[in-house]
Amino acid sequence: MSAPRVFVVDDHAMVRAGVRAELGDDVTFVGEAPDVPTAVEGIRATVPDVVLLDVHLPGGGGRAVLETLRAELPAVRWLALSVSDAAEDVIAVIRAGAKGYVTKTISGPDLLDAVRRVADGDVVFSPRLAGFVLDAFAAGAPTAVAQEATDPGLDLLSAREREVMQLLARGYTYREIGSRLFISVKTVESHASNVLRKLQLSNRNELTRWAATNRLL
Amino acid sequence: MTGSLPTVAGHDHQGRPPSDPGSSTGVITGVGRGGRGATIVTVTTTAIGAPPRGAAPRPPLVRPRSGRLLAGVATGTAAHLRMDPLIVRVAFAVLATTGIGVVVYGLLWLTMPVAAPGEEPAPGRVELGPGTGRRQLLILVVLGIAASAAIGQIVQTGGALLLPLILVAAGLAVVWRQLDADRTLSVPAVRWALAGGVVLAAGGVVLLLASTGQLANARNGFAATLVILIGVVLVTAPIWRRLLDSRGEERAARIRSEERAAVAAHLHDSVLQTLALIQRHADDQQAVSRLARGQERELRAWLYDPKVVREGGTWAGLVAGMVADVEADHALIVDPVVVGDAPIDEDLAALGAATREALVNAAKHSGATAADLYTEVTPERVAVFVRDRGKGFDPGTVPDDRRGLRDSVAGRLTRLGGTAEVRSAPGEGTEVELVLPRVAS
Repeated sequence: MSAPRVFVVDDHAMVRAGVRAELGDDVTFVGEAPDVPTAVEGIRATVPDVVLLDVHLPGGGGRAVLETLRAELPAVRWLALSVSDAAEDVIAVIRAGAKGYVTKTISGPDLLDAVRRVADGDVVFSPRLAGFVLDAFAAGAPTAVAQEATDPGLDLLSAREREVMQLLARGYTYREIGSRLFISVKTVESHASNVLRKLQLSNRNELTRWAATNRLL
Repeated sequence: MTGSLPTVAGHDHQGRPPSDPGSSTGVITGVGRGGRGATIVTVTTTAIGAPPRGAAPRPPLVRPRSGRLLAGVATGTAAHLRMDPLIVRVAFAVLATTGIGVVVYGLLWLTMPVAAPGEEPAPGRVELGPGTGRRQLLILVVLGIAASAAIGQIVQTGGALLLPLILVAAGLAVVWRQLDADRTLSVPAVRWALAGGVVLAAGGVVLLLASTGQLANARNGFAATLVILIGVVLVTAPIWRRLLDSRGEERAARIRSEERAAVAAHLHDSVLQTLALIQRHADDQQAVSRLARGQERELRAWLYDPKVVREGGTWAGLVAGMVADVEADHALIVDPVVVGDAPIDEDLAALGAATREALVNAAKHSGATAADLYTEVTPERVAVFVRDRGKGFDPGTVPDDRRGLRDSVAGRLTRLGGTAEVRSAPGEGTEVELVLPRVAS
């Protein structure tokens, strides 16, 4: 497996240096940026495989970078990195198109694993993100309020997807989930991708309302 | 007590050179009196008994915010003089018949400041209940009726000027009363009352002019005044604007600085203290990471968590507090994920205790430094999963002395009608699953 080309966006030089040190030689660093304009410029110029994106950035936040470049560079994968565990941040950045979300307290090997997984096109669910997803989709689960022009499948998790999310929230790895549910790791990954897609595409009112109010009561 | 007396005195004499006899005698006498006790009691009694007679300063002459009948002049004066408000009121009423009372009342109303909030002068012996507002209104009405009756007589005897004057006075009184009680203008009732007062006073003025036949003259004068006023307002408009702006800016700045002070106070009490502790314990890696972790959790809760989590009372709050406790007591980092929430009842509290036991067990025996805690509240059940990636064990061969899981966790859950399951294998880590069915409610 060739080393993924990584671009780091974070306004703290210390975090950028720390990520570089932790990922070391297993990835190729093509650049880094401390704010939104330089990030947009640098990512455009280098077209990396994976962008490690801080959620809180001066000049509009990581979301601004994502929204500017996502349509333009569909091949780039985004992994959000933040100190914040606030649900609205997590959900917002995922819905903007990030393939996963890890907190800055993540250990070096775990981060490397997440970067590799995202580079391969998979999604990365931390237990916390899985918890948020379950919470969001559980909020008023199958309300009969039919929303026109939306795929109703987007608003609900299948039983299997829910199971996978629960195991992720319990701290299981993909491999452990696969052996627990007697399915292949690839199937687990596709379930996770589907859940992420639902999270991104569902325009269920509950979802946004939940994200907006849940942590701000 | 008395037995120890000579010893004290003896020490004192040994310790001090004889050149200082005065102070040592003083000490002995002091102890002696204290030992007997009676003297001290008398002293205290006099000390407490003294102030009500003149020692304490009089309350300031201010008008209270509550407990007023009219404008609070009588109540305030009574509090200042330490008399019954009723006496003062009667005195005012008696004086009012000669006219002096009215003038005095008005002057006092003008000059007495309103009490600062929270510094109400004691309302005297007459405790005015919450119905004061209505009573105030009633008294105003009664006074009004009495006044108009008196006026009617005077009008009959001659002065056509009186009715308009009364109208003006009434209008002014309404306006003053509204503005005086420092009610905010944002309340519609206050605005309406103010408008009514203004209309009343204006009507009175017009009537006054009409009845004296000066209306035509006044119209000219009024027009001229209006033109001048408009001119003045237009000329000075930028100044007013700037005044208003600067007031707004001042207020915004004040709010900002207050907020900053609050944040600074919080950071000082928490983050700065922890940083100081970390510097002091720089060599002890475990202590440092524990301090940092605890501080991070606290700050995170302050920044992001909903009120219920911070203040407790629900399952999510209970879990957050429990994780904090376990992390503080053991070298275990727990990452809790809570889905759903419910208010705490007895069963949930017991489930919380069982969860804590499972976490402590993981901390003590698994050898892992981190554990995942996942709990899910659904309408049917509350499930808790505690997962560690430690050394694990064979559940079939648990020695009898390790009964924490079996008794504390499983026993508790069975009593509540729930289930506890432990999945573990050597080298595979351990997962404890606790499920508590919820009573349909």
